[in-house]
Amino acid sequence: MKKSLPFIFLSCAFFISLSIGATQIADFWTALINPGSNEILWQIRVPRVTAAVIVGAALGVAGLLAQGACNNAVAEPAILGTSAGAAFGAVLAISVGLVEVGTVGAIFCGTLGALLATSLTFKLAALRGALSSFTLIIVGIAVSAIFTSFVGIASAMASRAEARSISFWSFGSLALITSENLIGVSITTTIGVAIAWRIAPFLDRLSLGDATAFHLGTDVSRIRLLALIGLSIAAGGAVSTVGSIAFIGLAAPHIARFIYGPSHRQLVVHSAVIGALIVVVADTVSRTIAQPNELPIGLATALLGAPVLIALVAVKNNVWRTQ
Amino acid sequence: MITIDEITIIRDGREIIYDYSEQIPAGSITVIVGPNGSGKSTLLAAIAGDIAPDKGTITIDDHHPILTSASTLAGIRAMAVQNQSFVLGFTVREVVEMGGNSAEVLEALELSELADRLVTTLSGGEAQRVAIAQAIAQGTPVLLLDEPLASQDIYSRRKIIELLQQRAESGTTVVVVAHSSETELTWADKVVNQFH
Repeated sequence: MKKSLPFIFLSCAFFISLSIGATQIADFWTALINPGSNEILWQIRVPRVTAAVIVGAALGVAGLLAQGACNNAVAEPAILGTSAGAAFGAVLAISVGLVEVGTVGAIFCGTLGALLATSLTFKLAALRGALSSFTLIIVGIAVSAIFTSFVGIASAMASRAEARSISFWSFGSLALITSENLIGVSITTTIGVAIAWRIAPFLDRLSLGDATAFHLGTDVSRIRLLALIGLSIAAGGAVSTVGSIAFIGLAAPHIARFIYGPSHRQLVVHSAVIGALIVVVADTVSRTIAQPNELPIGLATALLGAPVLIALVAVKNNVWRTQ
Repeated sequence: MITIDEITIIRDGREIIYDYSEQIPAGSITVIVGPNGSGKSTLLAAIAGDIAPDKGTITIDDHHPILTSASTLAGIRAMAVQNQSFVLGFTVREVVEMGGNSAEVLEALELSELADRLVTTLSGGEAQRVAIAQAIAQGTPVLLLDEPLASQDIYSRRKIIELLQQRAESGTTVVVVAHSSETELTWADKVVNQFH
């Protein structure tokens, strides 16, 4: 029952999110089982809520990969520079007219930016020899700040409206989701989840430290590289589609770990489901709480996820021990 | 047989080991003793393939650890590091099973009662015993242990030594780093005391 609870909550949240919004959908269930019968439902809400599920899953798994690869409780795509790199890659390519917003091309450029920034973080953190978690986080914060500045500059200089606003890239929004977005972000999420699933047992061993993981037969550098690629693809696809949504990459894996324990195979599934659940609920709140205005979703994810995380740490804090 | 042939290891500009040779016979217990900072753990790490000698070679039978893949090496040698720390709340059984079959070794090291405890809640001595159990569970022909007796009470030391003796009798090459002050070394087949 405990295992299926997030799935049940996600299913409920999915249908509730489809059913509520600025416009009331008459005869919701009939419209739902007749594809195309209601334009608002099928053209706007279904793509949007589906995107919330996919993006939440991508960010949850990206956070899990970041924490597992760095063996650090606070690692997440935003901290390692991945999110800022993705936003920079997408906004730069859109600004210079290389790709259109929301296309697979934009997602590709975002993923490249994410890979570039994350690789830069890892390279700079390892300049003085062995990779330390502390150095990684400090360097990641600095790289993230640099790329966030680049995003601001590129957004301000862009004449094209499609480059979107700094608010979009900083706090995220699912308002402009289209069916084409869904294809691209589904592909990147699937690749990220597949990589996470493949390397999950090795991430278990990595939690014992690099030396012990190596003694147990883990090629530490290769696993860390695969994790870096997986998290860049998953987070890069998500951020270049909906902007930076804070907190999911940090909170979803921790909440999953508190409930289900530390085994990464299980955590891949549960981080994805809990990430999806938080984003669906946060998106529903952000578009309904201040109607007709819409709040940036990043504000809602932080407001929803943070109290849950604090409560779990207060109740049960021996799942991740910091030294 | 582990063959160490004229190795030199330099770390942070300091010569830790200089032109050192040694032969460690198969199916025996060899204890490397010496004071802190003398290079004992560095030698063990080099045998394990963690670090490459700046000069000279180390071979375990026909394998050069530093040129052997991590997965192949894990079938040749196992190692328990000193001060193993645990950050994620796996159970003792789960951690030992990352090495291999856990039942026998948990019982031999009297960890059965702790099998379902989270490793994040263990004392230093218990955590060290879990690391030793994991290395033994790997079932490799070479077993490397860095200061396995340091945080143990007399009873646990005796248990660990008995288990190492059993392993050596069944053909495992056991190499242990220890302080000579920790225990009498009568249980060792060979004592290396070059590191002073």
